[in-house]
Amino acid sequence: MIPVRCFTCGKVISTAYEEYKRRRDENEDPKKILDDLGMDRYCCRCMLLTHKEIIDELNPYQ
Amino acid sequence: MKIEFSSLEEGSASFALDDASIAFANALRRAMISEVMAFAIEDVKIYDNASALFDEILTHRLGLIPLVTDPDSFVPRSKCSCNGAGCTRCTVTLTMSVEGPCMVTSGDLISQDSVVRPALDNIPIVKLEKNQKVVIEAQAYMERGMEHAKWSPTTICGYKNYPIITHDDRCDGCGLCVEVCPKEILLVKGSAIGLKDGALESCSLCRLCEQACLNSGIGDEPAIHIKMDDRRFLFTVESAGALPTVRIIKQGLLFLKNQSDELYEALSEIRG
Repeated sequence: MIPVRCFTCGKVISTAYEEYKRRRDENEDPKKILDDLGMDRYCCRCMLLTHKEIIDELNPYQ
Repeated sequence: MKIEFSSLEEGSASFALDDASIAFANALRRAMISEVMAFAIEDVKIYDNASALFDEILTHRLGLIPLVTDPDSFVPRSKCSCNGAGCTRCTVTLTMSVEGPCMVTSGDLISQDSVVRPALDNIPIVKLEKNQKVVIEAQAYMERGMEHAKWSPTTICGYKNYPIITHDDRCDGCGLCVEVCPKEILLVKGSAIGLKDGALESCSLCRLCEQACLNSGIGDEPAIHIKMDDRRFLFTVESAGALPTVRIIKQGLLFLKNQSDELYEALSEIRG
C-alpha cells in the first residue's frame, strides 16, 4: 500500500496515488501528472514515483 | 512586531514577521510544529483483521490520518478530569467495519463526534479481497506534536531571513548574475541590474549572483550585494489538514503568550 504521508515532510500523498497510477498507465508524462496533483516538493514526488504496489501479490496469503 | 500575509489559504500560508528577533521567530516555528495540539488516532481495538497487512501496520496507517480538530470543545487528555482514562471531553471514538472486495478508505471511519472526523475521505488504508474483513474501534485524542509527529498540525513550517538585494555603481549590467539566478528574480535594467516585480521574496539567499559577479573579474568585492534583514522573517506554514493554517499560527502565538505569562508569574513570586 502507498504510505499515507510523505516520509520527509508529512504531506498526505496517498490520496493522489490512484489518479497518478491511472494516468501513468495511460503513458502520460509523470512530471505533468505530479504537477497537476500539487506535488511541489521533490520528497513527495519521489514517494509517488518510486512506489511499487505489492498488496495484490500478498493478498492470496492470509 | 507586525505580521503581513502574502498568501493565506486553509492549507498553506506565507507571511512576513516584521520587527522580531531571530529567537522569537524560531520560538514561533517550534511552537507551531510541536506545541499546537491536534487530534490523531492512538489506541485501536482490532476485532477482526483478515487483510494482508499486519495489525501494527494497519494501526500505524490509521494514526497518520489527519483528523479535523476543534481545540475549543475538547481538553487534552493529560489535563482532563478523567485522569487519562478517556472520557467524552478528551477522547473521540471512531469505528470501522468493512468487508471486501473493496478499498478501505478513511471515509469508512465513522466518528462519534460531528466535528472530529477524517480531514480527507479518500485516504486508502488497505485493499480487501473477497471474504476479507476489517472491524476496528479506534480512540483518538489531542496531543502535542512533540510526542509523535502524527499529532503535529503542520507539514512544512519554517522561515528565512528577508533578503535585501542591492548593487553599487560598479555594476555595468553585464547580466552574468541574471543567468545564474536559480529563482530567476533578476533582470537587466539599462546599464545595471534590477529586480522583477514581486520576486524579491523568492530569493533563497544562495549568493550565486555574487559569485558570478566576482568571476567576471570585477575585483575582490562583487558589485551585487545580498544581505539578510536580521529583524524580518519570511514564514511558510502548511497544514496537514487537522487545523486551518490561520488557526495553527494563532494557537502557536497563544502558546508563546501563555509560556511568557507563566514565566513572569514565577519570577514575580521569587521576587516576592
